[in-house]
Order: sequence, then structure tokens, then C-alpha cells
Amino acid sequence: MDPTFETRFPHPLKLRGTGSIVAAQDSEIDVLPWLKYRKMKKFMGKQDELAVTACGLAARNARLSEEDLRTKTGLYLCVGFIPFERQEIETIARNSSDSGSFSMDLFSTKGFDEVNPLLTFRCLPNMPIFHVSLNLNIQGPYFITYPGAAQFYVALEQACIALEQKEIDFALVGGVADQNNFLVQHHYKRTRIGTKATPDAAGFLCLERNGTERVLLGLRMNYQTRETAQRERWADTEVKEHLGAASLAVLLDQSPQTGNVTHYIESVDGMQAESFWSL
Amino acid sequence: MKNRVAITGIGIVSPLGSELPFFVNKLLEGVSAAGPITIFDPCKLPTRIAAQVDDNKLPLRTKDRKVGFAILAARSAIQDAEKFGSPLVKGERSGLSIGLGLELFSMPDMIDYLHGKRLIDFDPMEFLQTPSDVCVPRICKEHQLVAPPLIHISACAASTDAIGCAFRMVREGRRSWMMSGGTDSMINPLGVGGFCRIQAMTQRNEEPYKASRPFDRDRDGFLLGEGAAILVLERWNDAVEREARIYAEVAGYGTSFDAHGISEPHPEGEGATLAIQRALKDADVAPEQINYINAHGTSTPKNDIAETKAIRRVFGKRADSIPVSSTKSMIGHLISAAGAVEVAAAILCAQKNFIHPTINLETPDSGCDLDYVPKKARRAIVSYFLKNSFAFGGQNSSLVLRNVIK
Repeated sequence: MDPTFETRFPHPLKLRGTGSIVAAQDSEIDVLPWLKYRKMKKFMGKQDELAVTACGLAARNARLSEEDLRTKTGLYLCVGFIPFERQEIETIARNSSDSGSFSMDLFSTKGFDEVNPLLTFRCLPNMPIFHVSLNLNIQGPYFITYPGAAQFYVALEQACIALEQKEIDFALVGGVADQNNFLVQHHYKRTRIGTKATPDAAGFLCLERNGTERVLLGLRMNYQTRETAQRERWADTEVKEHLGAASLAVLLDQSPQTGNVTHYIESVDGMQAESFWSL
Repeated sequence: MKNRVAITGIGIVSPLGSELPFFVNKLLEGVSAAGPITIFDPCKLPTRIAAQVDDNKLPLRTKDRKVGFAILAARSAIQDAEKFGSPLVKGERSGLSIGLGLELFSMPDMIDYLHGKRLIDFDPMEFLQTPSDVCVPRICKEHQLVAPPLIHISACAASTDAIGCAFRMVREGRRSWMMSGGTDSMINPLGVGGFCRIQAMTQRNEEPYKASRPFDRDRDGFLLGEGAAILVLERWNDAVEREARIYAEVAGYGTSFDAHGISEPHPEGEGATLAIQRALKDADVAPEQINYINAHGTSTPKNDIAETKAIRRVFGKRADSIPVSSTKSMIGHLISAAGAVEVAAAILCAQKNFIHPTINLETPDSGCDLDYVPKKARRAIVSYFLKNSFAFGGQNSSLVLRNVIK
């Protein structure tokens, strides 16, 4: 890979903890234990639930205190494509169609009234980071991006900069991939990802400054304005599942590696990225 | 060593025009861009007004309006940055940082899709494609921006975050120059319908030009706008060396979460206070040095009061003497493009030694007790100023900028 944009850390960043969830079925996601207010669940889409669950696990595994989370932690997140649920879109469509075509008159009277007001919240791409901040009570700096799998690395780079600048003491860096969704699957067909398994997934890393073991040594990224197929390697092994932006954090959490390892990913948006770890 | 960061180019597509002199004159005249929605027929939706871009005058029109807006604003920004001095050095270590709105699809297309129309019948660049996959590569290719792009989706704070992150990347020497800003248009059935459904927008359909009234007692929600702004940020020394015109300096950037409510800000402006304090600290600028604030100022009942409280918490008694104005009173709320267009508005007015007004402010609300520059522009020498953007979902973003006084 052309090492155009490379960051080597003079003082490696310690991987303090990880957390992740991979779910083949929606029923495998249990966000309730992580919610400050159970009534907020109705506002949450699947991406939101995945993010809160994985981040909660990472914060717990990293043993971050409430005070650490509130005042010393930044949140850096890459989310997936906007997850409108089929049922909600179909309800609007059914009540806004006349002879199979969209009718603005029907939409403004009937279809509009049938829109679940909560849909407006569930479809916004900044909602996963809101729900994480609310439930973990994080007031720190943030960076939220989407949707390419390798865009996760842009979030990781921003977290590393914030740690290096001592803006924060801890960084929670995550990726979310709500993939069992009709619109996401449509998108994947177009981008040739369809050959791999695509479970829903989310993963978070907790990083801090000045590590001596289990450290992130550096990362590098390259961007070319061309379409490339999703490809991913972990410790020289081709990764079989497509975990989108969650992939690095899930692999670090669920596929323990030791020694010096490299994670490499290239995604459909033309991004190539790799990171170097001593684990 | 940290670099100072100069703003040397501005490109806008706004409801008050896309030519900078025209735009700034309209702002200083206090003109409202609001009118009936004509992009589509809103029929019986509760809100039927918005601040639209007149795209008949634009040289590029795309089905998803925000894509064309972004491309045009980027072109204008480069032209503006290269109007004086030698050209920018293209290629090496240049990048894009941009705030973007939602995915691309229209309801008619979606209904066709659900009714089984073949995928092949849709334009692959217009249906269910992400704005980041469509306009980002186009802009990067056209302007030879080679670094991995920074794409921000923090809703109403997105383009302020885009400028803030670009500033940091240039300051830390990770990029030599960057284009940064945002683009959005939610003036479509689903966008307007969605905001209506949560009762966030004004319904003052009979008096569009009076609809956006930040800090006023009779405000009833925000006016939806659309548009884009892209700024060119470069190392100060490079800008001086190539004899570019420098509009302003980006001095500091701060963000925070409210960690409070899904659609309402913290009632005491706690998160907003943190963002402002962090931006001031990052800039190493004392509150006493700020002599203008370009507010988020949405014209929604809760935001305007929370923002006022945050300003009071940071600036104390001195808050009474700092002029605060809202660009949204004239151009509405441009969502993911709002912060960047408002930064451009503040800079362009400051360059003329003016602060633009908050129009339609007739009777300040009881919780809104600052100097909001009501109705008429005010002559003022602006030095350091603050830009606030607060998103639905509690992401707060503030920038500290320094006007380069001619």
C-alpha cells in the first residue's frame, strides 16, 4: 500500500479494553442492561442498540469509572448506511401511493400521519453516538463519520490525535454495521460485498496514552477516488465475514492475536487502511 | 510546532444567492430568503414554507440538490482562494473535510422500488447512494485532494465540525491545506414531513419572511433552508508566501455532548457551555477577547434559551455587551450545511466592519436577554468571534475565529 498518510506513535497507545457484539438475529441484541432509562429503547434503531451494547462492554472491560467517562473520555464512531426499516418505509409508501405511484396529496394527508414520529430519530446517523453519550454519560469531544468500512480508521486517527494532544485521557473508538437491512443489502449488491456473510455487528476499542504492552504502534491510510471491493486481512489471514466498520474492533475483541500483527482493510469508497499492533 | 491556520477561500450556495458580494449585501440589508416551497408541492403538510436556493441560476443541477450544491461551492471556494496570489499547491497532503446530510433517495423512487421496479432502472448515483460516495469523490478528483476524506454526520453541527477538524489537521501539520464545510437539502417530502411530525418547524405559512425569529417571544420552530459552503483552510505561512487574501484565522475548536435529551438541549446549556469553553481554551483566547458571537439561534423554543444560558455561563456579566446574532433568521436552518454557511456569513460581514442582524426579533422572549442585534445590521470592528452549532442529539460544536482586519 502506498504509505501516503502514515502515523507512527512515538509513545504507543495502550489498548485498555475492547467490547463487541455480532448478531445474526435481532433477538441476540440485548441493550436493556446498558440503558440509563428503559423508556428510551423505543427511540432506538438497531444501530443505536448495537453501538450502546458494544461501547458499554468496552467501557466495562477497560474499567473506566463514571468520572473517567464523564470528563476524560472522547467518543469516535463510524456508523453504517442509514437503516430505514422496511416496515416503516412500506407503511409510508402504502399510504402515499395512488395506482402504484407516489401521491404528494396522499402523503400530506394520510401517509404523513402514518409516519411513526420516532422514525425521524431512528434514521438520523448521529443517533448511535447520542445514545452512547446518554447511557454512558460521556460529555467529552466526539467525531462521527460514515459509511465506508475503512472510514473507521479516520475515526481512529482522530482519536489518536486527541490522545496525543492530551485533549482526552481515554478514547472509545467504535464501528457499527447494521447489515441485515433491505436498503443496506441493496447497496451491497451494487458494491459486490454480497458474497460474504453480513451479520449485524458493533465493536469498540478503548485506548489510552503511554502503553508498554498491548499497544497500537501506528496506522496508515491511502485514498484513491476509485471503487474497490471490500477486502480485509487480519494477521495475514483473509477475513471471511464482512463486519463493516466494526471489523477491527470485533476482531481484536473476539479473535485474540499475539505478537506483532497487522490489520488491513480496503473498502468500496476507495479507502485503504492498516494498523500495526503489538499484542 | 503548530501552524496558524488561515481561511483564504469561500464558496457558497445559499438561499440568499451564491455570489459573495450579493450574499453579504442581503445579509446586511436584513432580507429574509423564506417563501413558499416550490421544489415540490407540499399540499397539506403543516409546514409549506422554506428558504430555498434558486437553482435556476446555478450552472449545475443534480436530482439530489445537496450534491450539486457541494460541487459548486467547492469550485467557487477554489476560485476565490486563487483569486489573489499564486495558485494552491495541488495534490500533496491536501484533503476534504465535509458535513453531509442523509442518503439520496426520493419517495417516488422508493415507491417504484418497493413496487418491484428493477434496480437497473434507477440511476446508480441518485438512488440509495450515500452523499459521501457521490459528491466526495467528485470534489476530491476535481481538486486533486488526495488525503482520506473526513466525513462528518453530526447533523446540525456537521459542517462546524468539518471546519474544526480541518483546522486541527492543518494546525498539526497533517495536511497542508484543506477544503472544509458542508452541504444539505432536506426540502423534500420525507425531510419536511419528518420534521413536521416531530413539530420542530415553524408553521407560519402565511408570513414566510417572518417565520424564522430566533430569540423572539413568538417563535414557533425553525425554518428549513438548504445550501452549501466550502472554505479553503491553509497554513498561514503558505498563504502569506503565495500572497493570498486572508479573510480570517481559525484559532480554536471545541466539542461536547449534552448527554441529555434526544431532541432537546440541556435546559441549562451545560453541553454548549463545555463546547464554548473548550474552543476558547484550544484557541488560548480569553472570554474578554471575544467581541461577537454568531449563534446557533434556531428559532426553536428550547434551543434559544439554552444557548443564551450557555453564553451567560461562559461570559458572565460581559455577556450583556457582546453582540450575538443569528444568520438563520434570514436563511433558515441549513442542517448539515448550517455552520459553514454561517461562518462564511460572519466572516464576510466582519470584513465589511459590520455584524449582520437577527431579523424578526420584535419582543425578546423572557429567557432571551442578550444583545441579539435586532432587525438592523450594526457597524462594528470584529476581532475574535465565536461560532456555535448544536445538533439534535446533543452534539455541541464551537469555533473561535479571528477576523483579519483590513
